Amino acid sequence: MKTAQEIRVGNVIMHGKDPMVVLRTEYQRGGRGSSTVRMKLKSLIANFGTENVFRADDKMDQVILDKKECTYSYFADPMYVCMDTDFNQYEVEATNMGDALNYLEDGMELEVVFYNEKAISVELPTSVVREITWTEPAVKGDTSGKVLKPAKIATGLEVPVPLFVAQGDKIEIDTRTGEYRKRV
Amino acid sequence: MNSLRLWDIFCNVIDNHGDLGVCWRLTRQLLAQGQSVRLWVDDASALTWMAPEANTQPNLQVLPWADASQSEVLKRLKPADVWIEAFGCTLPEAFVAHGVATHAQQPAWINLEYLSAEDWVPRMHNMPSPVMGGPAKGWTKTFFYPGFTPDTGGLLREKDLLERQERFDRAAWRQQHAPDLAPGGLLISLFCYEPAALHQLLKQLQGKPHHLLVTPGRPLAAVQKALAQMFADGPQLNWSALPYTDQNGFDEMLWACDLNFVRGEDSLVRSIWAGQPFIWHIYPQGDNAHHAKLEAFLEWMQAPESLKRVHRSWNGIQAINWAEIDHESLCEWNEFVKHAQQRLLCQTDLTSQLDQHIDQKSKPHRLE
Repeated sequence: MKTAQEIRVGNVIMHGKDPMVVLRTEYQRGGRGSSTVRMKLKSLIANFGTENVFRADDKMDQVILDKKECTYSYFADPMYVCMDTDFNQYEVEATNMGDALNYLEDGMELEVVFYNEKAISVELPTSVVREITWTEPAVKGDTSGKVLKPAKIATGLEVPVPLFVAQGDKIEIDTRTGEYRKRV
Repeated sequence: MNSLRLWDIFCNVIDNHGDLGVCWRLTRQLLAQGQSVRLWVDDASALTWMAPEANTQPNLQVLPWADASQSEVLKRLKPADVWIEAFGCTLPEAFVAHGVATHAQQPAWINLEYLSAEDWVPRMHNMPSPVMGGPAKGWTKTFFYPGFTPDTGGLLREKDLLERQERFDRAAWRQQHAPDLAPGGLLISLFCYEPAALHQLLKQLQGKPHHLLVTPGRPLAAVQKALAQMFADGPQLNWSALPYTDQNGFDEMLWACDLNFVRGEDSLVRSIWAGQPFIWHIYPQGDNAHHAKLEAFLEWMQAPESLKRVHRSWNGIQAINWAEIDHESLCEWNEFVKHAQQRLLCQTDLTSQLDQHIDQKSKPHRLE
């Protein structure tokens, strides 16, 4: 059993009788320390998807699947192709990539997830380092990190960052929440 | 209102009066519409002053939370149409198991969440939440978020609110509660936790013709502590302590004052309905998550910079020297409050939205 906040994009959970791959998670802090997680799910058996909200501490059955460490190679529409250390290639449908696409870059290390020997999704590291490709000019002197401004990385993902972060800086991002962690 | 239903509302009092305050306002509105309510609460003591009429209301039972785990109590329960799980309080497992065993179809199960103006709220609002374990595995809850925009669950607003406001004798209330208020003086209410800038406020009010009305509990304790630390020989501060009052009495205080300091969730909403300038002390969270929530609210309100600065200072986010609180600044703030109020009055209230949601979910039952 895992809690909802521990579930990551690429995990598979049981939803009734259906194994569902998690395509997207959105973690939000509510009042008084309560938190919720919104998940976009896709069935691995039938062709349907759903979106649900859970309390962050809701427990759920995670289906333990085979995983293999790979690197991302290239996109062959509509499949994303990853390769293991023995140069075996695995294709993952674009519709199963979910939020992993926000962080994907050539040569990126990730895990390919298999269900019934079929590559069905990818799991990312919990944090990645990415370069800021656009943001408003940095404000010197404000190091509190309390006030945030929008910034973009190469995939187009927008990440709120502190005012002192400048274009070209590299930042660490939490792939579970999409939040800025620190400047690297 | 399409159907008369039986509602089970569960309230876990964590601290202060907001949890029960919101649940009681919802209960009152449902009762006013002819609905039946069982209010399960783990500490109902505050109802003695917040809702002295609670024990005599028809179609209402106030029940101890612990009873929801007693088989003798559960055996006598009529199946409800709606379960409200306020602020993520987890329903007792025995109650849920009994519900599963006795309901022909699952009740509308609502997780009534905290109020926030953040942009993610519409994305989470009205979303299903499958129950993944326990006796109700396979049932589905709905996350219901109050909010400030039409794509959220809205705010609690009773049908006769504006009518009551119109009937209210503001001058008489002010005369009764601050008979010595000097001409040109402002009447200010204080309902807060322990705000960072309380000393600053009290110093600013010293020697002025204004009068501060301090609500009981934490606000009164905070003021007494602050005054004890201030110079005893300074200019005089005009203030008085108010007794505990019921929700209508609290509303009247907000309507009567020129400026209201409010705290938490329920009184924020009430101060907007009051249409008077207010300064909000948001519930502080350990990870400072409340900073973003405060900023989101100020953005939604389109608050002027002066009001934003005062809010940040009052909440300990930014240390600034306050500008004078005077008629001019209140006049400016008042425009923004009125504008916010008007926007919200155009939106469907929370109880009506809940009702619309549940219309598709349950059949009616009545308390006997």
